[in-house]
Amino acid sequence: MSAPAVSPSRRRFPLKRWWPIAILAVFVLTAICAPLLAPYDPNAQNLVGRLKPPGTVSRSFYYWLGSDELGRDLLSRIIYGTRVSLLVAVLSVLLSGAFGTALGLIAGYRRGWVEIAVMRIADVFLSIPAVLLAIITVAVLGPSLVNVVLVLALTRWPRYARVAHAQTLATAGMAYVENAVLSGAGNARILFLHILPNIAGTLIVVATLEFGLMVLFEAGLSFLGLGVQPPTASWGSMLSTGRNYVATAWWVATLPGLCLFALVLTVNLTGDAVRDRLDPHFR
Amino acid sequence: MVGFLLQRAGQAFVTIFGVATLIFFVQRLTGDPTYLLVPETATQADIEALRHALGFDRPLIVQYLGFLADLARFDLGQSVVQRVPVIDIIASRLPYTLMLAGGALTVACGIGIPIGILLALFRDSAAAKAAAGFVLAAQSMPTFWSGILLILLFAVTLGWLPPSSTGGFSHLIMPSIALGLLSMATFARITRAALIEEFTRDYVRTARARGVGPVRILLRHVAKNAAIPIITVAALEISNLLAGAVIVETVFAWPGLGQVTVQAILARDFLVVQGVVMLGALVTIGLNLLSDFLYSVVDPRIALGGGR
Amino acid sequence: MTRTRRMLASALLAASLSLPGGAAFAAKERLTIDLVGEPNSLDPHVQWNPDSYYVYRNIFDNLVTRDDRGVIAPQVATSWKQLSDTKIQFQLRDDITFHDGSKLTADDVVFSVKRITDPKFASPQLGQFDKIIDAVADDAKTVTLTTQGAYPALLAQLVKLSVVPKKVVEAVGKDAFNLAPVGSGPYKFGAWQRGVSVTLNRNDAYWGTKAAFPSVVFRAIPDAATRVANLMAGASDLAANLDGDLAAQLKTSQRAKPVPVLTERVAYLAMNVQKEPLNDPRVRRAIAQAIDKQAITDGVLGGTEKPLAQMLSPAHEGFVEGIKDLPFDLAKAKAELAAVGPKAKQEIALVTAPVYDQRVVQALQQMLVDAGLSVKIEMTDMGSWLKRMQSGPDSIPVMAFSRWSCGCQDADGVLFPILHSASGWANAKDKTIEEALETGRQTLDPAKRLAAYKTVHERIASEYFVIPLYQAAQMYGTSKNLVWTPTPNESIFVNRMSWKD
Repeated sequence: MSAPAVSPSRRRFPLKRWWPIAILAVFVLTAICAPLLAPYDPNAQNLVGRLKPPGTVSRSFYYWLGSDELGRDLLSRIIYGTRVSLLVAVLSVLLSGAFGTALGLIAGYRRGWVEIAVMRIADVFLSIPAVLLAIITVAVLGPSLVNVVLVLALTRWPRYARVAHAQTLATAGMAYVENAVLSGAGNARILFLHILPNIAGTLIVVATLEFGLMVLFEAGLSFLGLGVQPPTASWGSMLSTGRNYVATAWWVATLPGLCLFALVLTVNLTGDAVRDRLDPHFR
Repeated sequence: MVGFLLQRAGQAFVTIFGVATLIFFVQRLTGDPTYLLVPETATQADIEALRHALGFDRPLIVQYLGFLADLARFDLGQSVVQRVPVIDIIASRLPYTLMLAGGALTVACGIGIPIGILLALFRDSAAAKAAAGFVLAAQSMPTFWSGILLILLFAVTLGWLPPSSTGGFSHLIMPSIALGLLSMATFARITRAALIEEFTRDYVRTARARGVGPVRILLRHVAKNAAIPIITVAALEISNLLAGAVIVETVFAWPGLGQVTVQAILARDFLVVQGVVMLGALVTIGLNLLSDFLYSVVDPRIALGGGR
Repeated sequence: MTRTRRMLASALLAASLSLPGGAAFAAKERLTIDLVGEPNSLDPHVQWNPDSYYVYRNIFDNLVTRDDRGVIAPQVATSWKQLSDTKIQFQLRDDITFHDGSKLTADDVVFSVKRITDPKFASPQLGQFDKIIDAVADDAKTVTLTTQGAYPALLAQLVKLSVVPKKVVEAVGKDAFNLAPVGSGPYKFGAWQRGVSVTLNRNDAYWGTKAAFPSVVFRAIPDAATRVANLMAGASDLAANLDGDLAAQLKTSQRAKPVPVLTERVAYLAMNVQKEPLNDPRVRRAIAQAIDKQAITDGVLGGTEKPLAQMLSPAHEGFVEGIKDLPFDLAKAKAELAAVGPKAKQEIALVTAPVYDQRVVQALQQMLVDAGLSVKIEMTDMGSWLKRMQSGPDSIPVMAFSRWSCGCQDADGVLFPILHSASGWANAKDKTIEEALETGRQTLDPAKRLAAYKTVHERIASEYFVIPLYQAAQMYGTSKNLVWTPTPNESIFVNRMSWKD
């Protein structure tokens, strides 16, 4: 660590760029260690201690951050809520990213009817409202965290597919790809070893933008009553019930709201940092 | 070029047909509206009778063919819940959707593009950093929360603006801000990127060397070239705005298509959902077509519709 | 006794209101009312939905109505007499004119009855009126209705039968009537701005109590927090469907106040008693003891709702005094479940939909888990919920939270559908209950009816086929200046309101 601050890696990725990533790491750690950090069971109710302000004592509870509409400890729920927000966002980005990228790559490389079919199917999915898919999924498969991820992945994959497709078109004509084709490399090899690494930067840029959106989408689904099941704590559902108490018990919505805000903000800042590094426009 | 457009128009037609078909069958996995229309006290016989009267007891394929036959006559059918033609429902809501999308786009561009310019021209100034922070913060709040906070502040506490519903220009301000703030960052980002790229081009260097001022360069030379990617993004962002308005419309009681879609989905008002989704598909596909077209203008390496 | 209870209840609700309706007139030009959604239709015969009837009940008159105390009172009919077990004759007012100027006659009443009971017309409300098999106009102001067998709930149902003008409906047809409804009520249809609002204008020629406000606007405001903000900002004068916590916010407002009213809505825990583990009466008994109703009504809901020991509220015909439920006793519930053994431990889904108060559902779940059951909440949308709940004993969810209103304040509209095997909701399959329900449905003698329903209540109290929880409240919020006594039947009659500056 005593090395001078002029090492090549530092120069390209200065120290000040690291702090959002550090905060993000805190969120991730909180999610993983939730049972160790939370002072109480996040679902334990105390009906005589409803909507108590931060610092109140009621029965066996000491409400550091106040209590919610059923007298549950807000701090414990916020800590556990980190899990849902992060898990939903990470899984849906991975799932939609992998699926969309694969299809977009193939469409851009093979062209012809494969391209037409894939891109038009992407259009079909872009046209279907996420809420419709959410209601149908809940009605047919039942509600769960996995299904929330499924809904988000189904509605978001076309965005990756469109980007991967366009980028592949731009890359496929380049000399090194032509060389690889001429030297007899297989299709899969060309796709994943030559094209994918070249377009990965742009896709990661899209993924970081999407990650913040997914956190907000999960909250939106909770607002519409289609999110994770109660009483599971999620910031989205805490925020959407807490809206009813903005004037009488500000802490119920404000605290999970600030956490959500901080998470999306750090994700976006991290995204910007990654983008500045990867996106050719910013180098 | 004409061949390309014809080909894509043909594909668009097939895509919309695909959307209609998918929506038709997928919706019907969730049952039918009968249970939601009758009182709790209705007997199974009452429910069956109403189901028969509404035609939901017919085989799916018969219902589907009926839907297609209506569609061929440009008839979107009638809402089973409101008992008015679907086209009337859409026509009454479309102006509000366009107004909100327009308002939000104005907010997003009106703030986002100047901030993008600021970020590109004065990268490390304090003002640029503050602006960047503002843009990111605005993008990080769920609208159902920021919306109610806006209402409580500007309508209840300060009394400057009407809290909800429609009526005049003042009613449009808060929903446009709530929705527009989300897209602002996208415009700031793409404007910054486009400008930085243009500023590194030879013609700008030449102009600079000739002593042309930065504002003049921006207005006379760079703006035109940087506009293309910004328009491309705007095209995509419009379809995001149209689709993402559901929650803003609910919070501000704004009677747009987003609200109508959610209500129709929940009410199993199939034909309304089909109508709105097909309209949405038309817009989405049209905008995608436009952005593909613009891509090829920006980057001539991408041949239009070529095959391998 | 029932009557006194009922009056007591409505007096209680009217606690903050001192002026009788219509006593004070002020220069309030337009009353703004915020509902959840817009009406499905303003044709009173083609839908069944609160946002519609809140509006159209101001445009149309009904054959009979309920006064502010909840007692059935004359409206279009001035008096009625039972000619036989199946025939009832109504004398009609002769001074009623529709908004188009034509006179309301017996023909219009007969037409309205026949319209809504015609199976081909396919009214969703058909089931509420299909016991009426014939309607005859004896003369211009006399109508006789014939029912299929004796039907004691007839008057309670007729409260909801709006009289439409025969000539207008026949001239314009079904769909056009919905767009420009013509009635005889205290307000005339003005304009319908789709998705936004319906405006009504005062009918200055109204035969009854004239309205205090020249016009009234019903708006669609889907988000409850926004409805509260509208009240606090003075943008609306009345809002429906708030919850206790939202209404509590209004207590600090300069402009608005909460106006809660106990309704005929009964909240209960629905169970499928044919399925494991609830087919074991010991488990159901434990559940009945595990639920602390008082903690739900006072702790969670804010004290307006009242715990119930039977499946009816005091606002219902058929409510029986003195029915007792098992007192809350967590220790006994635990012991009972422990005695049942591992069977009681299997996972139970508590099915619910977003319209129900999720605070109550989560509190219930916690209470049952505390007693030793393993209960998981399962949320679906309303359409799926209704479908599953009416799917018969083989597939009705094991457990669900529900709130029931027949809109008729009569035992037959609550107990029959929930407990008689002719209905899709029912799964108890209990002979005693079914016989008593059939008696209650077909007996005109009030004492015999009450005895039959007493049997049902007692059977529920000993067998726990369902667990009655509480009498639900409707939480309105109004401007501080609005004088209004809401009624248990969840109607907003604007001509019974007034304004006090």
